[in-house]
Amino acid sequence: MGKSIAEINERIRKGDAVVLTAEEMVEFVREKGVAQAAKEVDVVTTGTFGPMCSSGAFLNFGHADPPIKLGGGEIYLNDVPAYAGLAAVDTYIGATSMSRSRGMEYGGGHVIEDLVRGKEIELRGLAYGTDCYPRKEIETTITIHDINQAVLYNPRNAYQRYNAATNSRDETIYTYMGTLLPNFGNVTFCGAGVLSPLGKDPNYRTIGIGTRIFLGGAQGYIVWEGTQHNPKEGLGTIAVVGDLKQMSARYLRGCTIHKYGTSLYVGLGIPIPILDEEIARTTALDESQIKTKIIDYGVPRRDRPVVREVTYAELRSGKVEIAGKEVPTSSLSSFKVSREIAETLKRWIEKGEFFLSEPLQNLPVDRIFKPMRQIAPTPLVKEIMTKEVITAKPDCLITEAAKILAEKNVDHLPIVDEHNRLVGIVTSWDIATSVGTGKKKLSEIMTRKVITAYEDEPVDTVARRLEAHRISGMPVVNERGELRGIVTTDDLAKLWGKRR
Amino acid sequence: MKKLLLKYSPEKAGEPILAGVIKETGVLVNILYADISAKGGEILVAIDAPEQDLSKVIESLKRKGVEVEEMRRKLNLDRESCMDCGACVSLCPTRALHLTADYSLQLDEDKCVYCELCISACPVRALKVSKFEAIS
Repeated sequence: MGKSIAEINERIRKGDAVVLTAEEMVEFVREKGVAQAAKEVDVVTTGTFGPMCSSGAFLNFGHADPPIKLGGGEIYLNDVPAYAGLAAVDTYIGATSMSRSRGMEYGGGHVIEDLVRGKEIELRGLAYGTDCYPRKEIETTITIHDINQAVLYNPRNAYQRYNAATNSRDETIYTYMGTLLPNFGNVTFCGAGVLSPLGKDPNYRTIGIGTRIFLGGAQGYIVWEGTQHNPKEGLGTIAVVGDLKQMSARYLRGCTIHKYGTSLYVGLGIPIPILDEEIARTTALDESQIKTKIIDYGVPRRDRPVVREVTYAELRSGKVEIAGKEVPTSSLSSFKVSREIAETLKRWIEKGEFFLSEPLQNLPVDRIFKPMRQIAPTPLVKEIMTKEVITAKPDCLITEAAKILAEKNVDHLPIVDEHNRLVGIVTSWDIATSVGTGKKKLSEIMTRKVITAYEDEPVDTVARRLEAHRISGMPVVNERGELRGIVTTDDLAKLWGKRR
Repeated sequence: MKKLLLKYSPEKAGEPILAGVIKETGVLVNILYADISAKGGEILVAIDAPEQDLSKVIESLKRKGVEVEEMRRKLNLDRESCMDCGACVSLCPTRALHLTADYSLQLDEDKCVYCELCISACPVRALKVSKFEAIS
């Protein structure tokens, strides 16, 4: 005995509809039960406000005189490259595109925010010139009011839930999940938990193509499943569209994720019609019932290790336990603004300004997210490292070591103990600078905290580590700290030569 | 830890005053920044010492003709720009930045140790730290 969307819309028209935010629904069901909620409640509103990288806007500038064909040329908005693969004066500005002059401090997300704020945007375009579009260059300023269309079109938004992040390494890392402190120093998470739009209808019974939503402060629509839509794993996404000209910068904010890149905070809310008890139940899921995983971002591989399962209630509390230690948590999405979105959507519906739409087609519920097809396997350290390593013991004389390095024509001398465990490293530079210091043994000049690699690490991560520490080689060790080889920039150069 | 800005008149700029004060008082003075020219100059120092030793240093400096001002930094939270996401919260070592019961970001500046981790972690650059300013 359910309701229909048409019936609910009729009640909205009359001003009789009972609308609750997802937070209020949790309380309602706790007090009166699912059956009563299904009968009494018509709509549950949701909201989320977080960084969503797969966001951007289609813009149409109109024609200059003489006209220019920017398609196939180059387009810059406030020096941020925009897509120039469309018709003459259409473009797509994506959130993660970065300014040529300001880098990560200003990107496509910021351009979109500035457009919404009505600010002037510098447009610079280059073209090759044709008989019908003779012009080759244009420099002007535009505002959102001057251009014909400004349409927010985001191919992937509103993840149902998201993995939380931590870092096992002994150095701070900067990821799309924010700054992660060393040795499990903090945990960051994303998603609105109890208010998460897709988390409240995880079986996609009411959410589909054509669903009218709150988007950036205006009414928008779901147009397709989002890219990487993975509902089987509880990681569904949606593609959304809306009129940028009607949106508000309160709900669209350009942002910089430190040492990662630029993005766009998107405010999005979905009204969920309470058609029956099953939907009443899922909209009333509280944060202790919504689980995610804490993932170790210290491992730069596609399949990062899971540290533990966690509920949004724990993440929201400000601290979680990892290996007996209390670790502080941070959300990247704003719960306060998410709540404001759910409340705004509720008000719109109550006032009869927003009606629910019947999905034209449901979103698929059986999609899985496939990894990238790679035709060449990623080379591993063990495939390029030098296995016969020249080593020395800590009590070896510096003069002796100098001779060895010169004879063998190497720059790195790993220092090992009697069990072949790595205890330090000496480079030809260390030896050169020790001249005249009166030091005699390698143990006096060796670096004890050695940057190392493992045999099964991909070469790319090792190359990044060499670069980050400005070193030219590192010993390869196993889990017991025993020396297995050495990998140097020379080894990488040889590999690069082969790739070409 | 107190931070002092020492202001030198042009006549005093050439004298080894600070070295003299350190020798005289035996207090360790950490020089953070110095700018001395023909127009006089200033030195910013940090002193981590008991109140008694600190006043000895200040008295000695003043006696030698140096102007002394206590300095402080300021962490500014731009409420207009802040989205209350809380990305800074788990990075803050002293909980100077925290979320309130209604999930608004709040700054207790007294607790701030100016580690500056939050500055770059803020996605919308709503947190800014000033250089040292005189306590008025």
